[in-house]
Amino acid sequence: MRLILRNLGFYLLAFWASITLNFVLPRFMPGDPVSRMFAQAQGTMQPDQIAQLRKLFGLDNRPLWEQYVSYVKDVFTGNLGISITRFPTPVSDVIGSQIGWTLLLGGVALVIAAVLGNLLGIVAAWRRGGVLDSAFPPLLIFVGSFPYFWLAMGALYLFGVSLGWFPLRHAYDVGLTPGFNGGFLADVATHLVLPALTIVLVSIGGWMLGMRNTMIATAAEDYITMAEAKGLGPSRIMFRYAARNALLPSVTNFGMALGFVVGGALLTEVVFAYPGIGYQLLMAVQGLDYPLMQGIFLTITAAVLLANFLVDLVYVRLDPRVRVR
Amino acid sequence: MAASTSPRRFRTALKAVTATAAAALVLSACTGGSGTAAAGDTSGNQLLTIPREDLATFTRNFNPLSPQAAPMTLQAIYEPLVVHSMSDAKDTPWLATKWTQAKDARSITFTLRDGVKWSDGQPFTADDVVYTFQLQKKVLGGFDYLDKVTAVDAHTVKFSFNKPFSPAFYEIGGHWILPKHIWSKVKDPAKFTNPNPVATGPYTEVEKFQSQSYELRKNPDYWQPAKQRIAGIQMLAFSGNDSANLAFTSGEADWAQTFIPDIDKSFVAKDKKHNHYWFPATGAMINWQLNTTKAPFNDVAVRKALSMAVDRDQITKVAMNGYAQPADCTGLARTYDKWRDTSLSASCTWTKYNTDAAAKALDAAGYKESGGKRLLKNGKPFTLDISVGSASSDWISVANIIKQDLAKVGITATVKTPDWSAVSASYNTGTFDTGIVWSNNGATPYEYFRGVMSTKVLQPVGKQATENYHRFGDKKADKLIDAFAAATDEKAQHEQIDGLQKLYNQDAPVVPLFTGPEWGEYTDARFTGWPSAKDPYATLGNRNGSTILVLTSLKPVKG
Repeated sequence: MRLILRNLGFYLLAFWASITLNFVLPRFMPGDPVSRMFAQAQGTMQPDQIAQLRKLFGLDNRPLWEQYVSYVKDVFTGNLGISITRFPTPVSDVIGSQIGWTLLLGGVALVIAAVLGNLLGIVAAWRRGGVLDSAFPPLLIFVGSFPYFWLAMGALYLFGVSLGWFPLRHAYDVGLTPGFNGGFLADVATHLVLPALTIVLVSIGGWMLGMRNTMIATAAEDYITMAEAKGLGPSRIMFRYAARNALLPSVTNFGMALGFVVGGALLTEVVFAYPGIGYQLLMAVQGLDYPLMQGIFLTITAAVLLANFLVDLVYVRLDPRVRVR
Repeated sequence: MAASTSPRRFRTALKAVTATAAAALVLSACTGGSGTAAAGDTSGNQLLTIPREDLATFTRNFNPLSPQAAPMTLQAIYEPLVVHSMSDAKDTPWLATKWTQAKDARSITFTLRDGVKWSDGQPFTADDVVYTFQLQKKVLGGFDYLDKVTAVDAHTVKFSFNKPFSPAFYEIGGHWILPKHIWSKVKDPAKFTNPNPVATGPYTEVEKFQSQSYELRKNPDYWQPAKQRIAGIQMLAFSGNDSANLAFTSGEADWAQTFIPDIDKSFVAKDKKHNHYWFPATGAMINWQLNTTKAPFNDVAVRKALSMAVDRDQITKVAMNGYAQPADCTGLARTYDKWRDTSLSASCTWTKYNTDAAAKALDAAGYKESGGKRLLKNGKPFTLDISVGSASSDWISVANIIKQDLAKVGITATVKTPDWSAVSASYNTGTFDTGIVWSNNGATPYEYFRGVMSTKVLQPVGKQATENYHRFGDKKADKLIDAFAAATDEKAQHEQIDGLQKLYNQDAPVVPLFTGPEWGEYTDARFTGWPSAKDPYATLGNRNGSTILVLTSLKPVKG
């Protein structure tokens, strides 16, 4: 319990440091949102509109420290302000409308890649030199090292355009009304296949290789030989003795990856026109939308810290040694 | 999605399989295939489908005060008094039927159309117009010349100015009009998202609003029902050109405004009979701006010599894919052809590509060449930076061509491509060297000349400028510009613009490069009546002021 409390203090400090960075970093970028918008319009906006938009957005001209104080206050009261690139929609609404899709896509892809990758790694290490061990890691690393954009486009053209098996875009068909009914969920699932599949393809190799390597080290431990000598079944040794111990680094990785899911999958969103946080963040950065940037960074920070905290808890459960210390 | 049956059936089967796996639900019936109705639908009730490549998701915000209002807010929902088309420079009476400018250019009176109703059935009156401009000034500001807006009677509105200002006609005439009976009850109009707009436009009823698509259906009280021939508009969201082009070229959308690389092969060849494009050069004049507060760019001879060193034909052909029109020494974009002084443009010298003449002119101005490198008057090498935002790949190619051209006359140029925000910040404060920059693009050349030559918008280095980044001013230009604004008949205005063109030819305030095209592509498989080079009643853009003309001209294909 004391361990958890000590960790909690550390998390608070980390949270403060990151919200401060979230505040400072965007403000180091040159220019301001309105002249940025004007530059992007490239001649389709009139110069008079610049002053008009400054007035409309009510850009903050107070000294930085005053802005910082009210920003920290806003963070703790949950007031994230109004987005500039989506004016006048509140930041919480912009994030709220996208985060579900990001969690769905990122979560599904992460769980599949991690579970499948770890299983493959366990089995490959257990049967060292077998077909799975010699063929899969190079193949998966080969696929994983393709530029993601290229792989996603290839999958889209092959399975979407040429074969017509999967829809080409969006999270569900145009004209459907979202709701918890079979037809809609089925539609969402079909739209999810290609985006999730491509993410799994590029990330699974890392999971498999990582698991395989720790597993090989663990399999050489004396307690494994001991277990074999006791006459335990091979699958029991593989999963209960070797894999349980080899799983620890993977759990850390999983926690990290879980936190970053919230940041969205920009390239996937671009190729498949899938809604999500990634594209929203890109737009916010390009448009110097401070409130939205801060909001998204805050969400990512909170998610990463939360995921790490959960991993710490799981560690206590998985690894008795942590409890002793 | 392909029209053949087998993949479709497979897809339906797959939907069922993946759904049971993912959601672990037992499905009694799975109804697939309710996808985009656009493909092949010629029932007469098909929706005009338009992709937006720049918006990954839509936000339900139909407030015209917001620069991020949902697409079509200013094209199909709210309407202006007068519609101006950049493609043929014509003014079409819209909510106003007539207008008269006072002889002293200090006021203008609009007569409003009879029988126009808001989409909730209320009549449209002069009070709405007066209220709109009050709200505009209160929330957004601007219109500094506007002194007073008065409703003379229910169908007449008079705008009075604090100075003679005839260009006001385009600014006021093109302004959207809001219903007073709705907006006067809104607490904070700037932050109102206006989810169910009440307006005078042809398609005002928002339906099936989802984050990546929505429909606009007919306004039941539209004032020209005979022109509401299409059943409605369907907007689709895309997070980039690639995904939008894929949907468009596979026939799932009717009207796009994206850049499609190699368009003849990738789009037209797919269905020669129906797929068309038209890229009229109605964009702003794109200039190579030289910061005239810095030597040697303060020397007109240098500006002209640099201009001669630039091969505009190569720029328009290679960097702009052949869709841009090279500039001449009047500085006028193609849109202003009717204002162009043709005798002047026929005798241009400093906008014609001639490396030898450029080198000679630089020699004559005192910038000698030694060992293949040209030197400044203080003996240092003649070098310059060209800045372009990193997102504009076509303009980066333009800058690179200029760099190669300058090397031929012994000048070393460096192309700098940071993010646009850094570039525009250096333009605003006047710290840049040179850059590829857009210019003002109004209904008349007034805004353009004000932006490149007027001393009135001139800001010193360090102060924020919103136009005239190159910081050049000529008192003679001020006089002509003011005289243009004070003139009400076109003949007098022509004289001033002629004078400005001559002055521009003398001063070379910027190096004009080309007029950019406006992209526009369509398929007439489901709708006909599109604007084209033969019938240029509007541009093929689906987000500008003349878009309403296209929406009210299209006819659905039946059967």
